[in-house]
Amino acid sequence: MQAAQKVPLTIISGFLGSGKTSLLNHLLTQTGPSNGGRRITALVNDFGALNIDAELIAEKHGNQIALANGCVCCSIGDDLMRTFIEVMQQDPLPDHIIIEASGVAEPTRIAGFAAVDPQMRLDGIVTLVDAAAHHIHSKDPHLADNYAKQIAAAHLLLISKTDLADEKQRAALSDELRASYPGVPLAEITHGKMPINVVLGLNTDSEIPHPQGDIEHDFVQWAGHLSDMPRAELIAKLETLRPHVLRAKGVLRDSEGAYVLHLAGGRISTEAYARDASGHFVIIGKPQMPDAAALAKLFTRSAAA
Amino acid sequence: MGDKVSIIYQAKSIRTMNPHLPHATHIAVRDGHILAVGTEQDIDGWQEAWGPLELNADFAERSLLPGFIEGHSHMMEGMFWDYHYIGFYDREGPDGTVWPGLKSIDEVVAKLKEIQAARSDKDTPLLAWGFDPIYFTDRRMNAADLDAVSMDCAVIVLHASLHILNANNFVMDAADVKGADNSEFIRRDENGQPTGEFLGQLGYYMAMRTTGINLLAIASSPETLVNFANVARQTGVTTATDLVNPMPEGSEKPMRDAVDADDFPMRLVVAFQGNSKEPEEAVARMQELQESNSDKLRFSIIKMVADGSIQGFSARLKWPHYYNGAENGLWYIEPERLGDYLKAYTKAGMQVHVHTNGDECTEVALDKIEEALREHPWPDHRHTLQHCQMATRSHFKRMKALGVGVNLFSNHLYYWGDAHINITMGPERAARLDDAGGALAEGVPLAIHSDAPVTALAPLFTAWCAVNRLSSGGVTLGNGTQNITVEQALYAITMGAAYSLKMENEVGSLETGKRADIAILAEDPIEVGAQGLKDISVIGTMVGGHVHLNQGRD
Ligand SMILES: [Zn+2]
Ligand SMILES: [Zn+2]
Repeated sequence: MQAAQKVPLTIISGFLGSGKTSLLNHLLTQTGPSNGGRRITALVNDFGALNIDAELIAEKHGNQIALANGCVCCSIGDDLMRTFIEVMQQDPLPDHIIIEASGVAEPTRIAGFAAVDPQMRLDGIVTLVDAAAHHIHSKDPHLADNYAKQIAAAHLLLISKTDLADEKQRAALSDELRASYPGVPLAEITHGKMPINVVLGLNTDSEIPHPQGDIEHDFVQWAGHLSDMPRAELIAKLETLRPHVLRAKGVLRDSEGAYVLHLAGGRISTEAYARDASGHFVIIGKPQMPDAAALAKLFTRSAAA
Repeated sequence: MGDKVSIIYQAKSIRTMNPHLPHATHIAVRDGHILAVGTEQDIDGWQEAWGPLELNADFAERSLLPGFIEGHSHMMEGMFWDYHYIGFYDREGPDGTVWPGLKSIDEVVAKLKEIQAARSDKDTPLLAWGFDPIYFTDRRMNAADLDAVSMDCAVIVLHASLHILNANNFVMDAADVKGADNSEFIRRDENGQPTGEFLGQLGYYMAMRTTGINLLAIASSPETLVNFANVARQTGVTTATDLVNPMPEGSEKPMRDAVDADDFPMRLVVAFQGNSKEPEEAVARMQELQESNSDKLRFSIIKMVADGSIQGFSARLKWPHYYNGAENGLWYIEPERLGDYLKAYTKAGMQVHVHTNGDECTEVALDKIEEALREHPWPDHRHTLQHCQMATRSHFKRMKALGVGVNLFSNHLYYWGDAHINITMGPERAARLDDAGGALAEGVPLAIHSDAPVTALAPLFTAWCAVNRLSSGGVTLGNGTQNITVEQALYAITMGAAYSLKMENEVGSLETGKRADIAILAEDPIEVGAQGLKDISVIGTMVGGHVHLNQGRD
């Protein structure tokens, strides 16, 4: 029997009005047959705000909306635990779960659901920072501590509403975030547009990665084919690429057997894999990452070793 | 009228909570309502027009009070009785069985071993509840304790606070949590190993996902509701609340059937979970629920939860936050969204009960209520702050000005009073914890509660807490200005709670025309006085004229 891979969980965090819903909307409409057919289940506070095209809605009942592209939206109704219980009873399980956290949620607490669930893993916390309101939110008498926690928890920081902020505000915010969180990839986002693979990683094992190239928005991708490198060695090499690597995924094999490697949510993990490993290995990172030739060299096992 | 018989109950004393006739000896009941209260002679005159009065002397040596009203409890109380009680204090189940308190971790483990040995299906999960580590200061329960009960099935111990649970290694292996790098909810020892203690709702989630037991479904089942009513009934309660229920579509019908059954011994007020839908849909859902209201079942209030709990360090406090240096707690809803909901409900004429524990949260809730009232003025909205444990006199003044009532969590004084002095609040602030005296002095309508199952449901005990302000460690909280009198406490658990639910014209006092809802006690609490209040034996209740007697009481 094939051991099912754990379902990845992505948490979209940020204050009210920071653009979480726009990003989610964008992700839900980007997936589909052309994109690995990833079936996303999105947990949201409010369907209404999602503004899904009527022709995209396949079925609507209770607190769930099924979309024509295989995605499902569930309204949380302030009961996250109940919602997760319902979602994890779905058969088959979704390919990916995204939660649009409430504006006061502490994303690390939500991440805990993935940690205790036998069938879920944390893929990452994405925090949106509203460039135009940062100076207000960071000084809010009741919420400033919460705001700081959301930013500190992020594995990917997205500066939103850049069109509403003046140039000086924007630059100051980038500088501040870069200085405070040097290891966390940072990008600007307008109208929720961000490549799905940057936010959610690659979907299926068989998805053929693009060759090295710019994938817009300040991110680059490198793909290769790895021979049987011991996983400890591979992990050590990946570590040298920080902080410029955002995520990595490989379906690989070594002397211990086949496994899936994830670099997501700031941590590298491996899971046993029950089928034949393809050897595909993909990295998404910042342009400051070594170039394709250098990466190819890094991940080729030296004969002497 | 004609010759229909009314029953006139004779009692040793009747405390009516009616200011025009506070004390009486006889009460006549007809058609589920109170026909008259007074002496036998006072009532006699009713016979002429209203037919014969039949004297019943069953309670001639008893003391009668208006049936108690628990203004903040959860029907979840009834769920746990399907599992094993292992708390520190004796507790009485719905069937009248007394579960003896267990006084050490070793006693708890021994009891669990005994339970496991007696089970026929030893591989199914073993669940126990009511464990309270606050009484065991020498050490904490760990996974090895529960491994000793069984290594081959899930063994899970739910704490009394409902914020923590312990699990054995069987559960931790199934959940694959040992390597988890997120540790806020997993207690670890000095070597970084999980101790088996899990904090917050994640523990519950893990328990459900590893055992397959859907506690959420059980919590809302009709069986649970009946258990809850029977636990409440034994303590003299005739109206209780389920103070937050998301009421999914269609759930009102089974609930109505259960509550309206003749042998269901209680009235139930359900608070609809205010943010379970967006504001406009939520208002519409509440209107729909109200179509299912009956004499015994009411969908009349909305509950909003704004922060966490003090003992869980998740209450929002004003600077300098926690005494032990813990960082400030959590908002459970964006203050802005709380404001949006309050506006929508105020506009629709729906009363809102807001859970606030910390003083920062209380202040923000009052800000939002004030904003809602500026937009939608409503003189008798009676929005109420629930728990409101750290309110200052200034907060009470503001509540008075805004027409906001309070329902204080007086049982906290006893159960966590020592912890609030030494760990969470420090001595100065702990003095004003659940300041019932302050609320009354400032003119704020007052009720007091147990938050069952968080603490034991027993209004006379809650009254005792508010009167004596004594912690389980034997320390008195405050300087006397926070205490209330026995009379004030009895009023709080009857008319005070009725007022908070807008039911004061139906229940809460014994007077002509009101519902025949009565607590039947072995002794008169006014005569017993402050100290013995919690020990008065509850003989039974009457609900709408139907008598429900407790087993083996005298
Ligand atoms: Zn509460
Ligand atoms: Zn409660």
